[in-house]
Amino acid sequence: MRRVLRIPDLGGACAAILHRPHDVVTALTRQLEAIGLVVNVYWPELPVSGRGADYLFLDVDIGYDEQFPWPSGKAPMPTIALIGSEAPGRIEWLMNIGADAQILKPVGHAGVYSALLIARATFDARASLADEIDSLRRRLGQRQTVVRAVTLLAARGKTEEEAYAQLRGMAMAWRISFEDAAERIVADHNGNKESDNG
Amino acid sequence: MSRKIDLGLLYSRSGNYALIGESCRIGALKAVADVNADPTLDLTFNVVERDPEGNVDAYAPLCEDILRSSDARHVVGCVTSSSRKEVIPALERADGALWYSAPYEGFETSDRIVYTHACPNQHLLPLLDFAFERFGMRGYLIGSNYIWGWEMNRLARDVLQRAGGAVLGERYLPLGSVEIGRMIDEIRDLRPDFVLNQLIGPSQYAFLQAYGELGRVESHFLPENCPVLSCNLTECELPAIGAAADGLISAGPWFRDCGDSPFGRGFGSSFEASSYSAVIMLARLLNCQKGSDALSLPQLLAMPMARTLGISPTTHHTTLPVVIAQAKGGAFQVLHRESPIAGDPYLTRRRAQRRMSLRLVQ
Repeated sequence: MRRVLRIPDLGGACAAILHRPHDVVTALTRQLEAIGLVVNVYWPELPVSGRGADYLFLDVDIGYDEQFPWPSGKAPMPTIALIGSEAPGRIEWLMNIGADAQILKPVGHAGVYSALLIARATFDARASLADEIDSLRRRLGQRQTVVRAVTLLAARGKTEEEAYAQLRGMAMAWRISFEDAAERIVADHNGNKESDNG
Repeated sequence: MSRKIDLGLLYSRSGNYALIGESCRIGALKAVADVNADPTLDLTFNVVERDPEGNVDAYAPLCEDILRSSDARHVVGCVTSSSRKEVIPALERADGALWYSAPYEGFETSDRIVYTHACPNQHLLPLLDFAFERFGMRGYLIGSNYIWGWEMNRLARDVLQRAGGAVLGERYLPLGSVEIGRMIDEIRDLRPDFVLNQLIGPSQYAFLQAYGELGRVESHFLPENCPVLSCNLTECELPAIGAAADGLISAGPWFRDCGDSPFGRGFGSSFEASSYSAVIMLARLLNCQKGSDALSLPQLLAMPMARTLGISPTTHHTTLPVVIAQAKGGAFQVLHRESPIAGDPYLTRRRAQRRMSLRLVQ
């Protein structure tokens, strides 16, 4: 499928740079300000207030897990890795911390704008993929409930096919998902059983 | 005692866009003559010129040659975006700066370049606003196969879709190709409200010729119903196009005899005016202090004089007026004019301003 790039609104967006004072920071800041972002530089640790940034640039050369106020791989914003040393150990650290785009050091006259666009698109795609996986997992977990609901409906003298159709009809009438309808039927049945017992 | 400063000149005098290169060159040389005759300036320019002859691969070596074989640190030159991108590494290696005086598609802010002509918030966006109001929101997009056409049309597509308009079609031609038959047939079938034209050189000339003939056969394609729009057509190419250019609507900072640039008057085209102002702005910046010819471009632009001249030290783009004009009988007549606005190469500031005004209304 052809992907259409959604260009994020970068005017007035906040970029946090986690890097010691260096030419890299000067070059990054120049490019970011030319694009229209507001820049904050932090070192050595990103304070909790840094969570509010829209983009995070992090130094891979001397970065470490404790710099971030979130667990490894759980950055709440798109991240861009600043890579100097290509030693495998550093790349391994980066893979764990996670990054949505990268820029090689030294930082020159360009590269930041495309990194911002790629990081935003990758971050958003990752987030929507995670949502989709969550919802698939939930539906997978509800499969057993669907089987139970159909069995309950079929127990009232319907064929399995008719029971499925009835469940689908209920879901539509209640305007909820097929799985949620099944859950409601099973819960109703359990509730009735309890009151019968009581 | 006046200082003699070498100044590089890098325009193509032959090839696909020779007319534009020539127009830029005339403006730059005129400015050099004016600077050299100006007793209020403590410097004169000595031109060091190379001609890439429209060959994109000749720009970088010739630019480096200027910077290495002379004392020049500033080069005025390049017309196409491809040639501008090519010279950047040469500027970095040989520690030089480029004054770029052609309209371009934006999304660049090299700290080695000053952009003295318009970018999309100064040409394409006002032109589309104008066209939406007068002609409608169904556009057909054409262009030459390189970054200018691709990116300008991408932006136009984006603007059209956001505004609720439609892109009826989009077609490209290789540089120099005059195979415009398919475009014309498709436009004839689809009957758009306007044609946005990013063709350059002979392709553009052939298209305008054929489109003019189409208009004579079917009145829908006359300029008052479905005009051709352009962001880089100026007076310097009108003689090559002749009557076929009549009715074309173009956007630019200046047109001949339609308002003065802040640095002078009587220019043949906005290319000429923009190259002229590039050289004059450089002279005024260098005039500010002794040893200024050894300063880097960011250092020069950090001086208060840069803002006075309309150059942003943050984006290296200039503040320019917006004029929309229509070609008629070898000249342009103004249809619409907007006050000068700062170049916004990433289109981030315009939106921020709009958001701010919305907040004020609330």
